[in-house]
Amino acid sequence: GGRDELKTFTTGLKGLDGQFSQQVLNKDGKLKESSSGRVALSAPRLFRWEYTKPYEQLIVADGKKVWIYEPDLKQATVRDQGTEEQNSPLAALLDPARLDQMFQVEDNAEQEGLQWLTLWPKDPATANFERARLGFNAAGLARMEVTDAVGQRTVISFAGWKRNPSFGASTFKYAPAAGVDVVSN
Amino acid sequence: CATRQAREPAPALEGQAAQAAAVAQRARAEVLRNAGPWSFGGRVAIQKAGKGGSGRIDWRHDRQGGDVMSLSAPVTRQSWQLTVEPDGAGRLDGLEGGPRSGPDAEVLLQEATQWDIPVRALADWVQGVAAPDLGQADIQYGADGLPQRIEQGGWRIDYPAWRQDAVTGQALPARIESVRGDATVRLLVDDWQWLP
Repeated sequence: GGRDELKTFTTGLKGLDGQFSQQVLNKDGKLKESSSGRVALSAPRLFRWEYTKPYEQLIVADGKKVWIYEPDLKQATVRDQGTEEQNSPLAALLDPARLDQMFQVEDNAEQEGLQWLTLWPKDPATANFERARLGFNAAGLARMEVTDAVGQRTVISFAGWKRNPSFGASTFKYAPAAGVDVVSN
Repeated sequence: CATRQAREPAPALEGQAAQAAAVAQRARAEVLRNAGPWSFGGRVAIQKAGKGGSGRIDWRHDRQGGDVMSLSAPVTRQSWQLTVEPDGAGRLDGLEGGPRSGPDAEVLLQEATQWDIPVRALADWVQGVAAPDLGQADIQYGADGLPQRIEQGGWRIDYPAWRQDAVTGQALPARIESVRGDATVRLLVDDWQWLP
């Protein structure tokens, strides 16, 4: 089931780098938005979501801060990284022991050719989603679905995972360029 | 803190040319007012005294003049939704602490997020027209005859980019930058639809 797939995928896993495509559906299941780009993760708490389509956007967690940079809006938002772990089920991939600390985990039957786990935040007040589902196949985590308080569903499919890659020094760094308004969240 | 230079737009039209643009603006506003309910998807960056956020915005303006504005944060798309009744009352869903409502949607939003978003006026400003019930509006027109800046209700709204709307044949703003004191709302309209 999902639990065994999670185990095989996360054993010895220190970092991941791959492509993602994301779809956001409203509570009636209508597609609101599709986007894609690159995602990189590095234990214990570094990550980079680099959206390239339909427009550029960068989210970087450097271990202390989370930066959200919107080039078209000429604004970068920065906040402390504390709550990010609670917000992202992905954090559990690099630290599976904390998975059961952060979430009620349910092992589900195979569906659409994937082995699934459903995650219910143990402390809903701090998590900003009602539940998440992780879908695994032979290549590891293939899909993540997050449903939030207003019923909106974000479905992210992953491809081309590179396990434990060596990351460039600037991968998990962000420095605002001149002319970018920096605001704290 | 927020470092923000005031980006002065190109010199505005004057005299005869400005009057002609004002006449065209009235006609344009009339067409848009009668074009019916609409919705758009886009992105928004909000700032207030160096604090703020950004994300995706979906806005629906219905026939009775009510608005539903939903904002979702990046990646997790954690979202909240503000419903504004035609009379200005509001309901806010999705934020921690559960739904809340009040007689004034803008006050409700500001108390919950500390953000200063002139929701009702924005429903007009997002089309490049002055808000009818917010008092005196000064409009500066650019060389293309379209509003370059509207000053109203203490807000300064700049229109650095426009696009052509096929349905009404009118120009609609693609980028809206509104500033009042230390509050900024920067909007990008990615797709605009007129609703049945």
